[in-house]
Amino acid sequence: MSDAERDPVLRRALDELRKLPPADVGAMRRVVSAAAAARVTPFDSDPGMSSPRRGRSVRVWMVVGIAAASAFVGFALRGAWTSRSHAASTAASSGAPSTAPSIVRTAASTELDAAPVQQPFVFNNSRAHKVFVVGDFNRWDPTATPMTRSSDGELWSTVIPVVPGRHMYAFMVDDSLFTLDPNAPKTRDPDLGAEGSIIIVGRP
Amino acid sequence: MTEHPSTPVRRNDSASRQFLSGFPLQHPAQASGLDSRTISRAKLGDIDAFTAIVEAYHARCIRFARAMLRNPDDAEDMVQETFVRLYRALPRYEERQRFEAWLFQILGNCCRTANTAFQRHSSRTTNDEEAYERVPSIDDPAAQFDHEWSEAVRRALAEVPEYNREIFLLHYIEGFSYEEVERMTGIKQSALKMRVKRASDMLRTRLSEGHR
Repeated sequence: MSDAERDPVLRRALDELRKLPPADVGAMRRVVSAAAAARVTPFDSDPGMSSPRRGRSVRVWMVVGIAAASAFVGFALRGAWTSRSHAASTAASSGAPSTAPSIVRTAASTELDAAPVQQPFVFNNSRAHKVFVVGDFNRWDPTATPMTRSSDGELWSTVIPVVPGRHMYAFMVDDSLFTLDPNAPKTRDPDLGAEGSIIIVGRP
Repeated sequence: MTEHPSTPVRRNDSASRQFLSGFPLQHPAQASGLDSRTISRAKLGDIDAFTAIVEAYHARCIRFARAMLRNPDDAEDMVQETFVRLYRALPRYEERQRFEAWLFQILGNCCRTANTAFQRHSSRTTNDEEAYERVPSIDDPAAQFDHEWSEAVRRALAEVPEYNREIFLLHYIEGFSYEEVERMTGIKQSALKMRVKRASDMLRTRLSEGHR
């Protein structure tokens, strides 16, 4: 028994403070719904790799947000770039119904900018039996992206499509060892305390 | 130290078991002892596994947030924010760290941030009529005494400085060892023990004064 719990006043206070509030069913439901809606990663923006698990409401709100941004950009650019962007800015700023893909193209400047690029990953480990690359681009799925061993047995590599931008990643060695890339800068997630390697994927 | 009631306590009412029609629930006995498999499934985005986590820890998180926040009415929002951040970060969770230590680390961060924001906007005033309505009318003298004691404890705890209160709650109420709290906060054990002692002394003094 600790000093605090030998004291009758404190012991009683601790008993009081340890009482759990009643289960709040509605609050728990809201928590799960909010979490399900909030889990969005760059991986989701790649239509070829999107997962059915993601919340539909987020996708709708993303499109609305992008539409608003594209409308703003359309207004700003219409004067200076009349000849080039006439069609796009008119579509975005007129308020006329338009399909989401055309709005997305306007916001991203070109479709090419948002398209995934082939990104190589290389990892040096001669003792590993299997290595997977995990990152926000594949939902940190430890089984999604296996790497291939080189003929000399030293290097593991793979090339996968990744949306341009900043991504966090690591290597999963033998299903259990989360290993950073020694050749890449690293960052620390404020919530996790865990580190990840950073890669900036861009167009050449 | 005596055993803490810190393990997740599950209520066995039917509402609790069926609170999410869209997200099937675990049996209470399974969810109370979250196994590594549930956490692994949640890491991969399995919403059912995440639901089990929320069920197991929600009440404890609310209890901690109410004790930590300057405005206890914000507890539910803070706990929701914590679970959302947890869910987003889950894929990178390393299982060598104790799961609930990580959860309370995030919750502590959220509460501290909320307290800072609340302090900035502390010009809020309480509507007296509203406050009056919140006080329940209790006829039973024993219940009235319990209610007064409960309020006294909460008022006394609220007077304990936040940096001591958090450690006190993590250790005595949530049942984390000093080693675990050191890993969670980065504060040396000797300093942690001092903070817990100061919080205990202050709590004892305030309660003794109030109930003499």
